[in-house]
Amino acid sequence: MRISLQYLLPLLTVVGLTAPVAAQAQVTPERIERAAAEPQNWLTYNGGYDSKRYSTLDQITPGNVKDLEQKWVLQDQVFGAWESNPLVVDGIMYVTERPNDVIALDAKTGRVFWIYRYTPSPDARVCCGANNRGVAMLGDTLFMGTLDAHLIAIDAKDGRPLWNVEVADAALAYSITMAPLVVKDKVIIGVGGGEFGIRGFIAAYDATTGQEAWRFNTIPGPGEPGHETWSGDDWMYGGASVWITGSFDPSLNLTYWGIGNPGPDWNPDQRPGDNLYSDSVVALDADTGELKWHFQFTPNDGYDYDAVQIPVLADMEWQGRPAKVMMWANRNGYFYVLDRVTGQFLLGEPFVKVNWASGLDPNGRPIQTPQPPGMPTWPGNQGGTNWYPPSFSPRTGLFYFSVWENYATIYRKEEQEYVPGRNFLGGGFTVLTPAPGAPTIGIGRRGPINNWTSEVGNGATVALDPHTGQRVWTFPQFDVTDAGMLTTASDLLFTGGREGYFYALDARTGEELWKANLGGSIVMAPITYRIDGQQYVSVISGHTLVTFALRN
Amino acid sequence: MRLRLVSAVAPVMWIAWLLAVVAIPEHAVAQVDDHQYSTAAIQAGSRLYAAQCALCHGQNGNSVAGVDLARQQFRRAASDDDIRNTITTGVADAGMPAFRGQPAELDALVAFIRSGFDMNATPFTVGDATRGKAVYDGPGACATCHRVAGDGARTGPNLSDVGALRQPAAIQRSLLEPSRGMMPINRPVRIVTRDGRTIRGRRVNEDTATVQLMDDAERLVSLSKSDILEFELGTVSGMPSFSGKLTDQELANLLAYLLSLRGQ
Repeated sequence: MRISLQYLLPLLTVVGLTAPVAAQAQVTPERIERAAAEPQNWLTYNGGYDSKRYSTLDQITPGNVKDLEQKWVLQDQVFGAWESNPLVVDGIMYVTERPNDVIALDAKTGRVFWIYRYTPSPDARVCCGANNRGVAMLGDTLFMGTLDAHLIAIDAKDGRPLWNVEVADAALAYSITMAPLVVKDKVIIGVGGGEFGIRGFIAAYDATTGQEAWRFNTIPGPGEPGHETWSGDDWMYGGASVWITGSFDPSLNLTYWGIGNPGPDWNPDQRPGDNLYSDSVVALDADTGELKWHFQFTPNDGYDYDAVQIPVLADMEWQGRPAKVMMWANRNGYFYVLDRVTGQFLLGEPFVKVNWASGLDPNGRPIQTPQPPGMPTWPGNQGGTNWYPPSFSPRTGLFYFSVWENYATIYRKEEQEYVPGRNFLGGGFTVLTPAPGAPTIGIGRRGPINNWTSEVGNGATVALDPHTGQRVWTFPQFDVTDAGMLTTASDLLFTGGREGYFYALDARTGEELWKANLGGSIVMAPITYRIDGQQYVSVISGHTLVTFALRN
Repeated sequence: MRLRLVSAVAPVMWIAWLLAVVAIPEHAVAQVDDHQYSTAAIQAGSRLYAAQCALCHGQNGNSVAGVDLARQQFRRAASDDDIRNTITTGVADAGMPAFRGQPAELDALVAFIRSGFDMNATPFTVGDATRGKAVYDGPGACATCHRVAGDGARTGPNLSDVGALRQPAAIQRSLLEPSRGMMPINRPVRIVTRDGRTIRGRRVNEDTATVQLMDDAERLVSLSKSDILEFELGTVSGMPSFSGKLTDQELANLLAYLLSLRGQ
């Protein structure tokens, strides 16, 4: 049937279907590098290479945020926590769900174009949730890491796989839960499995062919610098996984990655030495993977204080001089500022109660104070914060993140032999509770009734001044929170928590401006984008992805 | 603590009683109708559990939705063999890997789960449930605050399935030291609202912005914290201690009755 364009065009405009079609273009490396210049899109996991999760969109303001209304909802059809971070590219949203599905949908209406379903091998094992945190995009291709440690390229138009490579052996409990990072013509990804005695690495693949371009072992092998921080064969199954997306500074051609804990987790005596590069940030050349510098937050860690936080990059004045810094709120309870050109330590301050260290020396190395057996260690096993995406607003100059307060763990260490593919923890732990046998906080929330209560710890959204490492404001929550942060140019901060509240706070004061009870845990950061002149905010709560915008 | 022999005890209770008094670990008592588990097995299971299971199932066994291992709530297991099967085959849909353990390791894990994860329990003795019902209704006067199968008050937690939900040692602790055994969610609250009402009750849920409670008049109350002027959370349970108030025999019988309450 032929329809005259004369009739069709006005019709499409009225119905509002033109936008995604009209604006679509290839995602070039240049576009990703200048992501801040196109705030209508959310082009990478962290919204841009500097990982600020700050958007210049300002249609939603402190004055009108009360007029937000739900525009559409996408229901997750699978079981388990939903920790995916969607991308939005030219009106189309790409989001993953468990175990390794990718969904492409109209970001304006929530209607789905296609679903790609990948079934990971039954050998795949993931210690702490069979999650996938999202895709990366280059050109017309999406990239997803899988629970069985494959990397798959998918056609963004029709959801068909283009290539599929094995990154590591799932039978040895390697897995991938993070979203890849695309830099120029390469797709960079790290591997999980730190609780199973893997040897971690970061690898780059040619985006067109899937061929491996470089690999950086997060535990140096014999003859490599840093190998001397391990003894015997410990390095072969010492963990140091990489399960959160890194950052990139094009001006330095450096990518930055947070490295996970050493294994076995709770028995540092079994692996004497600093255990590089566990619990470190590494700066790698984007083209070669060559290590330029590293900084270790927690040497010889016995507390599972993964440094799997997102490196947040900003340019700011530091002690009177312009500086390229990296901000880092670590699971070990300290907030750090580093010079990202050299890795030099600039500042480190505790942001929650800490008793595993009495402080940091002038180089940022912790002065460790292990607690006697049976005594609690602060912060507890899930840390003062964790992988939850933080945000930095250049307008307020503040660093925002989720913290766990008043939360301690009692560790028990035990000699453990490595068995391929099995948990490699070296002991166990209990959480400090007010009554014997009382429910405690778990990795995820289990239901709508909080029967563990804030007595075992509570969460808070915190704004920190990076120049002092001190809190500017605290927004306490009753339950703990795994929510990430989003800030905007109108000084709004969007976040959530395990209780299912989705909040808009005043980024300057922490004042609650608006909230909606979405009913399920918010365990990821919200994102924002714009279509047809309307600003949207999307957040995942429980099994629903909800998208808000102002009432028209 | 030893019980005196009572001739009226039914034969099956004799077995339970013997197990309880000859220093067999208390964990084993609830298992007379299934298997017996040694202390060594329970402790070995505890270590295996910490190493292999705790990351997903949690330190208390209740981190996976719909599963509470310590309280014997499973999705697909009823018998010990069912538990072993689930462990050895895994649950692919839910992301649980197969655990290829030795038979002794599987025995240990089952023993630890069946023990209710209770390694350092308050000592207790299980008596006669029928006589325990009389203690519950008589000197215990438990129905003044608690409810079982539709009878009794609602100001305290409902006990209809307490035998399934809590371990014997934990119930014993609550009988002797109620404040120490009180689950934090059940703390008594006293609230003064901005409009001048004073509300007392038992907390049933709380979040950042609201609190839900069962008030003294057994009404379900939900309050927005912005409407609350004073919020006082008590750490002392309103329940009296029965230490010294009930005889050892009565306590053992009451415990047996409470353990027999297993809901539907």
